[in-house]
Amino acid sequence: MHDVTAAQRIATTVLQAAREQGAERVERIDLALGAMTMLDPESLAFWLEQILRGTVAEGAEVEVEQLPLRVRCKDCAWEGEVEVPDDPIYHLMPFAPKCAVCGSDEIEVLGGDACVVRRIRVTGAAEDD
Amino acid sequence: MADTNAPDRGRDIVIDVDLSKRTSELADKNLALLKAHGVRGIDVLGSVGSGKTTLIKQLVRRLKDRYAIAVIAGDITTRIDADRIEAEGVPVLQIQTGGACHLDGEIVRRALGRLDLDAIDLLIIENVGNLICPAAFPIGTQTRLLLLSVTEGPYMAVKHPVMVRQADVAVINKVDLADAMEVDVTQLADDVRSVHPQIKVVSIAARSGEGIDGVIAALEL
Repeated sequence: MHDVTAAQRIATTVLQAAREQGAERVERIDLALGAMTMLDPESLAFWLEQILRGTVAEGAEVEVEQLPLRVRCKDCAWEGEVEVPDDPIYHLMPFAPKCAVCGSDEIEVLGGDACVVRRIRVTGAAEDD
Repeated sequence: MADTNAPDRGRDIVIDVDLSKRTSELADKNLALLKAHGVRGIDVLGSVGSGKTTLIKQLVRRLKDRYAIAVIAGDITTRIDADRIEAEGVPVLQIQTGGACHLDGEIVRRALGRLDLDAIDLLIIENVGNLICPAAFPIGTQTRLLLLSVTEGPYMAVKHPVMVRQADVAVINKVDLADAMEVDVTQLADDVRSVHPQIKVVSIAARSGEGIDGVIAALEL
């Protein structure tokens, strides 16, 4: 869902870091995308490319690592990965993970709900101080 | 300016920012701001046509003598809702999201900057008509009020579990039309509680004003 919003936030984060470091070019952007975010890596990369046109990060290589959804069951304490089904219905209603062992939906999400800008590779400036 | 990393061009800058956390951080800041100014914030969530504006008008009518109220009305493009609420004689700030299907912490932060928070003590925020996306974008109010109406059919609670779980008060609107819609209000209320046992559920008919006092009690206003 909100791929454009996410792409805009990623672009803002990347360009701010590049500016702070006095970078002339951003060559590469490393992202990590949790399964629970429902963000589509291809769509995200597409929008990011469009938004970054005309900036120092135009044409940067975008690398997306996909992270599985990891949960802990509050009822039976099971911990593990839960598959997020690739079903269009979850663009209309949020996916509610269930415990793989007891079926409870009292679930604590341990990981896989984040959209992280990990690092960028830049050229130019820095090491002045 | 020297290119220090010889074979591999450039250098890595570690960022490690979780943008999904940023969403809740913004909400936390908004909440802190409201609290610092002694403002109670209520986020009103419901589908298009569920009766959010009518409910807010009824609340304002009954509460404006006891509270200094301001309203933020979120909409994609129009200011119909703002005009309707303004007729009640309280300041209304219309936010047009320009396409976004939800308010978010950033939009609300900017709106709060345009209000005199010291001059108000109750802020009602009408979210964009949508029960899916706002669940992922907390805006930082003390209370989230979920509005369902029987004209949306009997499955609104079971279809929006994430939203129901996040809400503090669930209001079932248009109960005067329940028979015509063949919707069992008791069942709908049970569905809400089965997803979120601690939630307060109130039935109303916003147009006639039936049950509005129950909403005020549930909001502890």
